[in-house]
Amino acid sequence: MMTKKEILSKLGISEINKGVTTGTEWFDTEGSTTASLSPIDGNLIAEVKNGTLEDYEMIVNKAQEAFKVWRMTPAPVRAEVVRQIGLALREYKEPLGALVTLEMGKIYQEGLGEVQEMIDICDFAVGQARTMNGVNLQSERNKHRLTEQYQPLGIVGIVTSFNFPVAVWAWNSALAITAGDVVIWKPSSKTPLTALATMNIIRDVLKKHNVPEGVFNMIVAKSSVMGDNFLKDKRIDLVSLTGSTAVGKRAGQLVGKRLGKTILELGGNNAVIVTPNADMQLAVSSTVFGTVGTAGQRCTSTRRIIIHEDVYNEFVEKFVHAYESVKTKIGNPLDEKTLVGPLIDHFSVDLFKNAVEQVEAEGGKVLFGGQVLDGPGYESGNYVVPTIAEAQNHFKIVQEETFAPIVYLIKYTGDVENAIAINNDVPQGLSSAIFTRDLLEAETFLSGMGSDCGIANVNAGTSGAEIGGAFGGEKDTGGGRESGSDAWKAYMRRQTSTINYSHDLPLAQGIEFKF
Amino acid sequence: MEINRDITIEELIEKYPFSVQYLSKKGIRCIVCGEPIWGTLEEACEEKDFTPEQIDEVLVELNELYKQNKNKKDDDKKRNIIETRHLGD
Repeated sequence: MMTKKEILSKLGISEINKGVTTGTEWFDTEGSTTASLSPIDGNLIAEVKNGTLEDYEMIVNKAQEAFKVWRMTPAPVRAEVVRQIGLALREYKEPLGALVTLEMGKIYQEGLGEVQEMIDICDFAVGQARTMNGVNLQSERNKHRLTEQYQPLGIVGIVTSFNFPVAVWAWNSALAITAGDVVIWKPSSKTPLTALATMNIIRDVLKKHNVPEGVFNMIVAKSSVMGDNFLKDKRIDLVSLTGSTAVGKRAGQLVGKRLGKTILELGGNNAVIVTPNADMQLAVSSTVFGTVGTAGQRCTSTRRIIIHEDVYNEFVEKFVHAYESVKTKIGNPLDEKTLVGPLIDHFSVDLFKNAVEQVEAEGGKVLFGGQVLDGPGYESGNYVVPTIAEAQNHFKIVQEETFAPIVYLIKYTGDVENAIAINNDVPQGLSSAIFTRDLLEAETFLSGMGSDCGIANVNAGTSGAEIGGAFGGEKDTGGGRESGSDAWKAYMRRQTSTINYSHDLPLAQGIEFKF
Repeated sequence: MEINRDITIEELIEKYPFSVQYLSKKGIRCIVCGEPIWGTLEEACEEKDFTPEQIDEVLVELNELYKQNKNKKDDDKKRNIIETRHLGD
């Protein structure tokens, strides 16, 4: 494993860094600095100078100018830049993955996985470049052609969260850039260094391909500089925001007020259903990754397990046993033996403790975990023991998303429809899963009367989505879709055209209009 | 007043971390999904249907907490100096 110094050196991170770039040019700013502390030990990694309102204006102006050039660059040429970015990311996969771990706290394997997601979406976008197609439709008029095409949209504002500090930028940027848009990235103030490192990695590619300054922009800034003003700014054609439902609702209102576009990827309250027909070992193994992976700080982390009463005791016994093993592997996420790293900061630890207290206060029972670890190796105070609690779905704490490794066990009786009703009875609708070998149960779960989530899996957990599928959820999760499938359409403007290749002027619907 | 109604929640958390626990007891979650919510303290209170009087009360109590925290820090600093002197002696 590389040392901290080696990781930072390879990625061009200094003690104090500039936090504003238009692609290859970096700008010194007058703003305050953001100190990036590692959740691993609480120590300072490096500092970043925040952008100011003047910097924001400069970036938006630059982006507007760049868009004029970029939108007319052929899509496959744009995608060649994205392909080269994918290659550069392959080259820097280890140091960037390690920095993700150092700054965010997810285990090194997941840090590498995050960079792999970036690479995967670049590859996906390259293929997509030649298939961003419209359709030709039959015209009702003689010698007329009706066609639909997709045009570049403009400036895409990307707000990312600490838990996937760079992958979410890649999901959005790879598609947006290929679509002919330009991007302005506001990374999380908790993980600015991974953003800086990413921009450093792509700098040479942009230079080599003469990508105009202003196509790839990034500003490290507080919400007082890039907050409501960013959302209200008419020059930002699309705001793609990953974060909490609270922030998403605010964004939805402010962007909606100016009739701008949004992609909102917000909170989840994801459930796994375990029916009497489940492969129990598969259900346990898969669900453990869903509950404790990334220390329960994924949007798709499993928050609830809905278990049939006939297999409840068997599942719980196996599940608790698995947790006993996991408990021995909590620690420094850079250590390859570790399975659970720290929470992002002490605020998250407080929220974890509050949730444990609250579930008990509401009548639940903690079966495992609930403690905050201390002693050697845990000095930062950010390490907690993943927690299993028996609860009722209607508990207030169960209805909320707690960004920590706490999972609630809920018993159901009768048919799978009862489990699906519990699955759907929360405000959020991101991810869901069922473990069953019964075709009827599986198909019911996937039917119109089934899961109401954006993601519904069978015999696979709630987290760990591939980039090939559209990613996002319904209800309080926001309704947006990122990444694969036809998510690219959100980054483009749809245009319907009628072409008259006759000398006549027949009007639609047979309207006569003589003058 | 040190803490006013126009302070953003992000700044409040950064400068006055004790506010998180206090506001949580008032039903305001400052941090969701590990990130601070956007907007000002006043907006966060209004979101929870606080009356103007209740918002004033929040401000008074937060500033009182700030004073208590500041005094405690000053006391700790003084104690540290005294202990260091003892060690020096």
